[in-house]
Amino acid sequence: MLKIKNLHASIDGTDILKGIDLEVKPGEVHAIMGPNGSGKSTLSAVIAGREDYEISQGSIEFVGEDIMDLSPEERAHMGLFLSFQYPVEIPGVSVTNFLKTAINESRKGRGLEAMPAKDMLKAMREKMAMLEMDKSFMSRSINEGFSGGEKKRNEIFQMAMLEPKLAILDETDSGLDIDALRIVANGVNKLRSKDNAIVVITHYQRLLDHIIPDKVHVLFNGKIVKSGDKSLALELESKGYDWIKEEITA
Amino acid sequence: MDVFKDKLLSSFIVFENQLNGQKKQPFHQKRREAIDVFEVKGFPTVKDEEWKYTNLKPLFNKDFNVFHPGEDSLEFSDIRRFFLSESDTYKIVFINGIFASWLSSTTHQNYDICTFSAALENHRDVVDKYAGSIARNQESLTALNTSFAKEGAFINIPDGKVVDRPIEVLYFTTDSDNNTFIQPRNLVVVGKNAECCIVERHQSLGKQLTVNNSVTEVMAHAGAQVTYHKIQNDDDNASLIDSTTIKQERDSKVTVHTFSFGGKITRNNLEFDLTEAGAEAYLYGVSILDKRQLVDNHTIVNHMVPNCYSNELYKGIYDDNSRGVFNGKIHVHPHAVKTNAFQENNNLLLSDKASIDTKPQLEIYADDVKCSHGCTIGQLDEDALFYLRQRGIGVKEAQALLMLAFTTDALKEIKIPELKSKLNRLIARKLNVNLDFNL
Amino acid sequence: MDILEKVTNSDYKYGFYTKIDSDKAPKGLNEDIIRFISAKKEEPEWMLEWRLDAFRQWQKMEEPNWAHVKYQKPDYQDISYYSAPKKKKSLDSLDEVDPELLKTFEKLGISLDEQKRLTGVAVDVVVDSVSVKTTFREKLAEMGIIFCAISDAVKEYPELVKKYIGTVVPKGDNFFAALNSAVFTDGSFCYIPKGVKCPMELSTYFRINEAGTGQFERTLLIADEGSYVSYLEGCTAPMRDENQLHAAVVELVALDDAEIKYSTVQNWYPGNKEGKGGVFNFVTKRGICERNAKISWTQVETGSAVTWKYPSCILKGDNSIGEFYSVAVTNNYQQADTGTKMIHLGRNTKSTIISKGICAGNSEGSYRGLVKIGPRAQNARNFSECDSLLMGNACGSHTFPYIEIKNKSAKVEHEATTSKIGEDQLFYCNQRGIPTEEAIALIVNGYCKDVLNQLPMEFAVEAQKLLEVSLEGSVG
Repeated sequence: MLKIKNLHASIDGTDILKGIDLEVKPGEVHAIMGPNGSGKSTLSAVIAGREDYEISQGSIEFVGEDIMDLSPEERAHMGLFLSFQYPVEIPGVSVTNFLKTAINESRKGRGLEAMPAKDMLKAMREKMAMLEMDKSFMSRSINEGFSGGEKKRNEIFQMAMLEPKLAILDETDSGLDIDALRIVANGVNKLRSKDNAIVVITHYQRLLDHIIPDKVHVLFNGKIVKSGDKSLALELESKGYDWIKEEITA
Repeated sequence: MDVFKDKLLSSFIVFENQLNGQKKQPFHQKRREAIDVFEVKGFPTVKDEEWKYTNLKPLFNKDFNVFHPGEDSLEFSDIRRFFLSESDTYKIVFINGIFASWLSSTTHQNYDICTFSAALENHRDVVDKYAGSIARNQESLTALNTSFAKEGAFINIPDGKVVDRPIEVLYFTTDSDNNTFIQPRNLVVVGKNAECCIVERHQSLGKQLTVNNSVTEVMAHAGAQVTYHKIQNDDDNASLIDSTTIKQERDSKVTVHTFSFGGKITRNNLEFDLTEAGAEAYLYGVSILDKRQLVDNHTIVNHMVPNCYSNELYKGIYDDNSRGVFNGKIHVHPHAVKTNAFQENNNLLLSDKASIDTKPQLEIYADDVKCSHGCTIGQLDEDALFYLRQRGIGVKEAQALLMLAFTTDALKEIKIPELKSKLNRLIARKLNVNLDFNL
Repeated sequence: MDILEKVTNSDYKYGFYTKIDSDKAPKGLNEDIIRFISAKKEEPEWMLEWRLDAFRQWQKMEEPNWAHVKYQKPDYQDISYYSAPKKKKSLDSLDEVDPELLKTFEKLGISLDEQKRLTGVAVDVVVDSVSVKTTFREKLAEMGIIFCAISDAVKEYPELVKKYIGTVVPKGDNFFAALNSAVFTDGSFCYIPKGVKCPMELSTYFRINEAGTGQFERTLLIADEGSYVSYLEGCTAPMRDENQLHAAVVELVALDDAEIKYSTVQNWYPGNKEGKGGVFNFVTKRGICERNAKISWTQVETGSAVTWKYPSCILKGDNSIGEFYSVAVTNNYQQADTGTKMIHLGRNTKSTIISKGICAGNSEGSYRGLVKIGPRAQNARNFSECDSLLMGNACGSHTFPYIEIKNKSAKVEHEATTSKIGEDQLFYCNQRGIPTEEAIALIVNGYCKDVLNQLPMEFAVEAQKLLEVSLEGSVG
């Protein structure tokens, strides 16, 4: 599904990613953990095609295709979804209008007809119910004046609507209280299947109690320095990141 | 400009001779005074502070026809697309400044929705009382209009009457043997607690240059509610100078929407006199320009008495070599305390060749007031753009969506659904995207 | 209103006149007078030619009337263009300064005695038309810093003066600048060499003393590459029934990586409560920033009958920064039309404008500003905030910002508000035992804090007191 080889990326002359290797297969859930400033968010932005970063080396393949030269929307049309750590507020664009445009543009990108409005509204209502969201969301401007929890829920709602092959959840747990965390995690779990994959980027282990990962990677100073199964996450939780640092510098 | 000025001055003598009996009416005295003002002042130049950023010289260095023959070959089906509705509106339609009765739908039941020329014959009392008493007669272009004022829309709503459907006022120009100069004169008098809603549009159908020098006077009596929409989406050979002056009495509410999407030079002079307490004025503007288009929005809100409210919001998006000018003034007269006046002007620049000159002004002579203005110039938010693209929306569409969002605040007060969807279509076309912004 | 009546009698405490023997040119302006001034100052030929050229340009110009001020235009032939306190010979030590003059400065609170002086401030003192004393000159010279009267600089550092004078404010820039260029008599000159951070505040005190004179000082300040200087100026004048003209020019040159901080506390005589007399303050101040340079203007304007003043920055070099912080107070019949121009020419240039206007009595205050972003000024940024506070219902407060943008990457924000001191704010203070007068001073000081914070310590205290005095009796 996703194959990253020796990825190096920098911004304004500062190296952030210094050789990332990562492979995610269909049906898998990967967790990428790491201390602040280790390059977690840069990795997700680079995969999604943010143009501010300079990629000096390496490659990214998605569903068997090299996506390095593709625009963010082309990547999205292929089924790549990024749940933003800080979802952007766009005053004046309603959630409905936004999703309608996003879905139909993606369909157009895949050579499909626009979705009939009736079907779309039905799907929206279903997914909103799943995420315990109020109907009034649909007419509000996207993320404007939303609480932290509402923003994250809105991200997962869009993920549910867009049905991506690969979803990258960037710090989706930050800003969520325990109930919201459960609802969001349940939503994500309902979307899991043998055909799609999820990459969870997080600082803490608590989201991984609800979304059980198959593999856990530790990102430190722009490199994946350790990989393991879900027990690695628990170990990090109890010991913190310092032992990893010591292990590397030793 | 001097050549055309001389032509206008001599045309006035011809015009006057054609008036016959009307020459004795009091309104004609106003025409005479006005032509003197124009003769002294001439066309404004960039040396005039109010015309600093808009040069009319290239426009009026050309020759124009001042008098126009009748045109009757135009069918409704040819121009249907410029109307809001085929049957659900009143219509006052002019071709080359001459009333086109076969395209119009006027009324005298309950209220008068007809022409200024008809009013000069049949509603002299209203004309004498209001025409020329609200407009700024010392402005040379307004004076020029007054001196030739004979035709335009006349809307007279008696006390307590509510007009049951929108009133469309359309000015078409067609090709003739020369460039066309027309001077519409509109008079709108809305009685106590009466209501009406107007949509005005100028449309050139020919290839030659067209200049509209249009003057509108609106009298809103106590408790009246008036909504006036101006759709400016003309061809690149057409220019418009629109001077609209509005006088408001106690507790009246007047909203003016100005949509500028096209035309060579569009100059909007919009001025409010709030003369009695409780009057509320709302000014909304959306300009989306490209190519070599220029829009110059000049607004003044005169708070002459205590306890009035005004709110102005103008949004501009400028691409290619287009230019935007915004000059808005809030003038709080002495003793007009408890004034609340707000003004906001936001602009997006999309091209290195586009430019914006903006001058928001406050002139305040009373202490217990709340007045503010704000002005921004910027670009589309890169983070928002990436967010939209991540969700699969293409660059052009994402930009269009953000631009529409940028204008939303200035569009949300539109109450006519047909107008709203028409504007959304116009905007989508202007932004060159195939998006249906309604759901 | 009682308080208003009671305290409008606040006096202009700098309004005394000192009897000093002075050397005065006859009234009137022509080429002979200019030759007389130039000769008095023992100037080189090129300086005289420069003046004459300016005069010829001025003769063709008209006095501007676009500002929002009304005044009886001065009769330029009824002014004496040169007045100097008589001196026996050159002033090398304080003992040689006229004792009357010394007393004057003691009254003003400015000691010319270096020992008693607050350490860290070097002062140049200009009375009427000439510089009478520059302190700390030798000490600064050790670091290569030149700080002296401009008339001395013309003689001693002609290359520097010739190279920079008129480059920021050209001779024919405007009516008052041209007049100044023709007849300027003194002012300060300052040069900070490459890489030098000037260790003390440099300061000039201006005073108009003689009747029937105008003051036309000219300041030229050059900060060479990588240098830093903070410069202060203060102004006072005697109370007179006739209007006195002050038409100064200030030119700042900040070369690559240099920084200039220029602060003014302007307290010329504002005229009496009926609007009689007072100084016409028509000043052209402008600075040019080369690469990475920064110029910061701070002004507290409380005096003058009519003020016409727009300290500006030409942001020519890439990454240069311009700032303008202003408090303008008008009371009684004062009129002020003041603001700034920020001309962005270089890339990544930034400017900030914070203007606080306070109007009381029958006065009128206007902010007039221009923010211009040129086509080459990629990524230019401007933020402007112009607030006005009105006290009483006979005053007027106006805002005239011009914003001209020719580059799509520009980000410009302008905000302006007009308000009065809230009844609830006053009541809150009163309830806590603060009398209305003090409460107003407190609120006004808070309102001006963003600007006052920009002033050097010694000046900030003086400025605060000035604000209080200027607004005494303005409570409605």
